[in-house]
Amino acid sequence: MSSQSSDTAPAQPPAFYLPDFCATPTVLAVVLISELVAIVLTLARQELQHGFWIDLARTSLFLLWIGLSSATALCYSRPHLARLSVARSSAISLALPVAVTLLISEVTYWLGKSWFGGLETGVASLFPADHASFLLRNLFIAFIVSALTLRYFFVAHEWRRNVEMKARLRIDALQARIRPHFLFNSMNTIAALTRSNPGQAEEAVEDLADLFRASLKEARGRIPLKEELEVARIYQRIEQLRLGNRLKVSWQTDALPMRTLVPSLVVQPLLENAIYHGIEPLPEGGTVVVSGERKDDLIELRVSNPVRTLEGGTIHSGNRIALDNIRERLELAYPGRARVDVVSNATEYVVTLTFPLVEPVTEALE
Amino acid sequence: MKILIVDDEPPARDRLKRLVEELEGCECAGEAGNGTEAVTLAGQLAPDVVLMDIRMPGMDGVEAARHLSRLDEPPAVIFVTAYDEYALQAFETQAVGYLLKPVRREKLADTLQRAARLTKPQLAMLAREVAPKQRRTHLSVRMRHELRLIPVEEVLFFLADQKYVTVRHLGGEELIEESLRALEEEFAPDFVRIHRNALVAARHIASIDRSGEGQYAVRLRGHADELPVSRRLATDVLRRFRG
Repeated sequence: MSSQSSDTAPAQPPAFYLPDFCATPTVLAVVLISELVAIVLTLARQELQHGFWIDLARTSLFLLWIGLSSATALCYSRPHLARLSVARSSAISLALPVAVTLLISEVTYWLGKSWFGGLETGVASLFPADHASFLLRNLFIAFIVSALTLRYFFVAHEWRRNVEMKARLRIDALQARIRPHFLFNSMNTIAALTRSNPGQAEEAVEDLADLFRASLKEARGRIPLKEELEVARIYQRIEQLRLGNRLKVSWQTDALPMRTLVPSLVVQPLLENAIYHGIEPLPEGGTVVVSGERKDDLIELRVSNPVRTLEGGTIHSGNRIALDNIRERLELAYPGRARVDVVSNATEYVVTLTFPLVEPVTEALE
Repeated sequence: MKILIVDDEPPARDRLKRLVEELEGCECAGEAGNGTEAVTLAGQLAPDVVLMDIRMPGMDGVEAARHLSRLDEPPAVIFVTAYDEYALQAFETQAVGYLLKPVRREKLADTLQRAARLTKPQLAMLAREVAPKQRRTHLSVRMRHELRLIPVEEVLFFLADQKYVTVRHLGGEELIEESLRALEEEFAPDFVRIHRNALVAARHIASIDRSGEGQYAVRLRGHADELPVSRRLATDVLRRFRG
């Protein structure tokens, strides 16, 4: 029965950054880049009046062959490249155009030599004379231009991904803020308490207001850990009214540096999940443990809840959404330095957040 | 009108109880904190209407309603929920009475007036829509006017015999009117078919022994007899339990 699953993916599977080289816009971009390079090369090589257009035409023809052949090669190898790591696929995407350049340069050289080698004038002068220097120069240029182009594609892709991620986060955040289920249940509890225990009802309304205020503040970014944990405690108080002694929460967070900054609402949703998926389905209830510690420059925060033995290890879709949201927000706040790990087995479900310690900038510096 | 209130949250029960008692001609016959309690109490109290929360630990409201429908005089069931997109859609299409939390007094009075027993097709539909893929936590056996619940975890095996299926569980043996095929579909992979007429709980299997030339038998914890594995299913059963 015991299923063991571990989920240590980074914020998102690194989407492949190379564009589809068979698509018209990309082909157009390749043609444009080839032409620009041709112009640069011709400008650098010729006296402007002397044979400029002929030289440009010759270089363009040569470069377009290289450009379009490389595009074809990349287009066909793209599905394979997408499966490799970014570093490896980049190396191959760089090697391909260089190899194509080598091939086409070689063909050009031998073509010139064998067909037009005997002729004294005209066509022969369009072909290179010195084999080694011709190859070497071309390879260098191909390497540099390909590297720049790849870098351009990479940056453009990252930028687009960032914009998309931010937009999606905004929507996710709106949806993930407060579960409607929680809202209506809380309203119901308050309705019940208004008569039986007006004092408690009053507190519950205040807590609910604080919670909403915290969730609306989210867009503003990072808050001290102390505040974030306070929000989680407020949430716990409201749930406590509803679930009574079925819900126990053990806070083991004294060792944490309370001043460190965290993106808001990263702990509260974990507690919410732990209660909704862990405690509520248990007739006798259980204990959620919120614990944390500092490890050098990193902070580890754990939220664990018991699991109903019959369905141990299952991860609900609602849980996924909240986890993905936290993962993305941490990634946005600490690119490449934050992790969300989930470990679940037959008895327990544990989510661990790991993120760097960030001391707030002191007032004086601001 | 005798009303049974079922909700796992004490404040929610208190409020409903107060609203019910304030209505003329209505009384709260009892309160239950989960589906299992609801089924047991409904048998004893014979309420006219059950106000049933959907999301409860252990047995949920929809399953409890399914068990209740097997009583000789089943009560009308009105579901009460805070927020449940799928459930609300199903209630609307199936014309099942429901109330939203926090419940309004007028709405409660109105819905109680029109409360009706749930039909089998309505319940089957609800089970599919509201809790898809979720199997029952209990089997119910009719005993005179009451229902006896058998936790599925305690079932050792089901044995089919002509028309009936015998359930052997930790607490004894009962006859139920369900087909072995339906039970297999609902409870796989926790229950394994080892013979044309036998479905066995995987968690209670102690060992699978060779009982003769190419013949095998399953031994269960807490049960003396061996159950024969049919030749046709032997390979599947062995592969699953012996790797």
